[in-house]
Amino acid sequence: MATTETTKTIGSGFPIGRETLVKWAPLLVLIVLCAFFALMEPRFLSTRNFARILIAASPTLMVAIGVTFVIIMGSIDLSMEGAVSVCAVAFAFCFLWLGGTLASWAWLALPIAMLVGAAVGFVNGLIHVKLKIPSFMASLAMGFVGTGLALMMTGGDRIRIEDELFRSLLTERILNFPLMVYVAGIFLLIAWFIQTRTTLGRNFYAVGGGEDLAVASGLNVNRVRIMGFTLAGVFFSVGALLAVGRLGIAETATGNNFMFLSITAVVVGGTALWGGIGGVWNTLVGVLIVFVIGNGMVVIGLPGYVQDGVLGILVILAVILSTDRKSISFVK
Amino acid sequence: MTIEKLKPYLPWITLVVLVLLVGAINPSFFNPTALLQLVADIVPLFIMALGMTFAIYIGGIDLSMQQVANLVTVVATVYLAQFGVFVALICIGAGFVIGAVSGWITTRQFVPSFVATLAMGFIALSGARFLSGERALSMNAEARDASFGWMFGNTAGVPHELVIAGVLLAIAWFLQSRTTFGRALKAVGAGELAAVASGLNVDRIKIMAFALSGTFAAIAGLMFSVKLSGGDANLANGFLILAIVAVLVGGTPLTGGVGGVINTLVGTLIVVVIRSAMVYLEVDATMQQMIFGIILIIAIAMTIDRSKMRIVK
Repeated sequence: MATTETTKTIGSGFPIGRETLVKWAPLLVLIVLCAFFALMEPRFLSTRNFARILIAASPTLMVAIGVTFVIIMGSIDLSMEGAVSVCAVAFAFCFLWLGGTLASWAWLALPIAMLVGAAVGFVNGLIHVKLKIPSFMASLAMGFVGTGLALMMTGGDRIRIEDELFRSLLTERILNFPLMVYVAGIFLLIAWFIQTRTTLGRNFYAVGGGEDLAVASGLNVNRVRIMGFTLAGVFFSVGALLAVGRLGIAETATGNNFMFLSITAVVVGGTALWGGIGGVWNTLVGVLIVFVIGNGMVVIGLPGYVQDGVLGILVILAVILSTDRKSISFVK
Repeated sequence: MTIEKLKPYLPWITLVVLVLLVGAINPSFFNPTALLQLVADIVPLFIMALGMTFAIYIGGIDLSMQQVANLVTVVATVYLAQFGVFVALICIGAGFVIGAVSGWITTRQFVPSFVATLAMGFIALSGARFLSGERALSMNAEARDASFGWMFGNTAGVPHELVIAGVLLAIAWFLQSRTTFGRALKAVGAGELAAVASGLNVDRIKIMAFALSGTFAAIAGLMFSVKLSGGDANLANGFLILAIVAVLVGGTPLTGGVGGVINTLVGTLIVVVIRSAMVYLEVDATMQQMIFGIILIIAIAMTIDRSKMRIVK
């Protein structure tokens, strides 16, 4: 993603500033969407349906939060499909090998999966930074490697995880919402903490806001980048764990569709592809928009394939709207 | 002779070395009939890689090609009975329009090409799933043979696919090397700001490049559909990575400006040889994607022009 930026021009003709509009537009869209679907079909508003949306959204939320950090730095990570598959399969193998139930040493499979995710992200970052390959291509290639690795490990088979304790992520409900929704919530808070209360979080914004400035002020940009990709990998692995918990199956296809859904969610949530703007709350709103659209369309009776097209249009519109056209001369 | 001077010849050297290696392991590799068939089988991939070359040549990328090909397999299957051989025009038109729209979104709306094409790919997928009714369709064998039977077959031992590939390669080469459009492509790939400053209509050239990649994706999809005698929204999956690998291994860098369609021919042949080597060496089919992923990373790292990127994002 090579962009050339000239000086930022400030101010625009709108009575409400463009920045305010861009900041609140995603939330407005979400509310309008919910109102629209509720009007079309009152059942949309039931707790049951909300639980359904949140269950479907939780794994994607984790993946999208991971890629949010990378996008804030102005890079992008397209390796999520491979990373999620590898983490899911690695987790399943370790879990079954160590005993097959969370009540035994098999709980170690959880941190192992997260380490695998971190490793994938770390390699991603290394390839991007050390070989100086644009991140979209480096991570896309790593994603292919990851999917291939998962395929090699499973030989194309599905691995079932039937441990009741682990499946309680889906089956155990508190206040009508299953545990995995709360787990996702906790990791959302952790991500928010990293974003706002740690040096690393602030460094992501520094790199994304203007790399020259970050370098000039003595920041080790390469290190921040590698750490960003590693952190993204950890969140991908959490997404993988939730995905396995939801279906009870780990396979090469576990990672399918995560790339487009999570990128769409991040961009629609208002995090700019150019970096420096947005954050994890934007991503939460974005993920909700994507899944409310998906769910709402099914609820009002539209066929599933419309969703792909609508999301495709949405992501293009979101990037167009979040781009300050005066500050960009060309894109590749 | 330094490595920099050697660089343009690396793809050729790689190809020759690989062919000799595979031949040494398995002498039956040089059996002419088998060799021709091996190359003929990869023609749809080659055509897709030809299209991808245009997108990468100007420094962009087209991630929608696989989905465009998927859509075309469905369109060709659904409308074959109705339009006969003219269904090809519909398919190619669809590819051209989708590519042009991607190009327009990238150049006029400032959406990076990988996002624009990714999104357009999903719009195409949506169309493919709608048209196919989410089923795998098959062509009427008679209608297929009547309209597109000429695509497959042999004349004097030469498979017709190879002739088609040769014609398309000639057209692409002519466009790239013998027209002002081709010169302009090179100028945009070598340095977009300089191209703008010298008065080229860069937007139009970039839109045309993406339209071409869409067109070639459609032709690849059409051939694939006729070959497998059917259409399905997932039929061409797995082609994208191989097409990108073919272009990059051939020596057209991700940064654009150098390389071109002849390089892509070499790159595709390298992919074929590696593939058949993996078969001879009994490399598990499940490992192939991983290996191509790693080859992709190596190819990008070796070809990319780092002096063009002040900041690598």
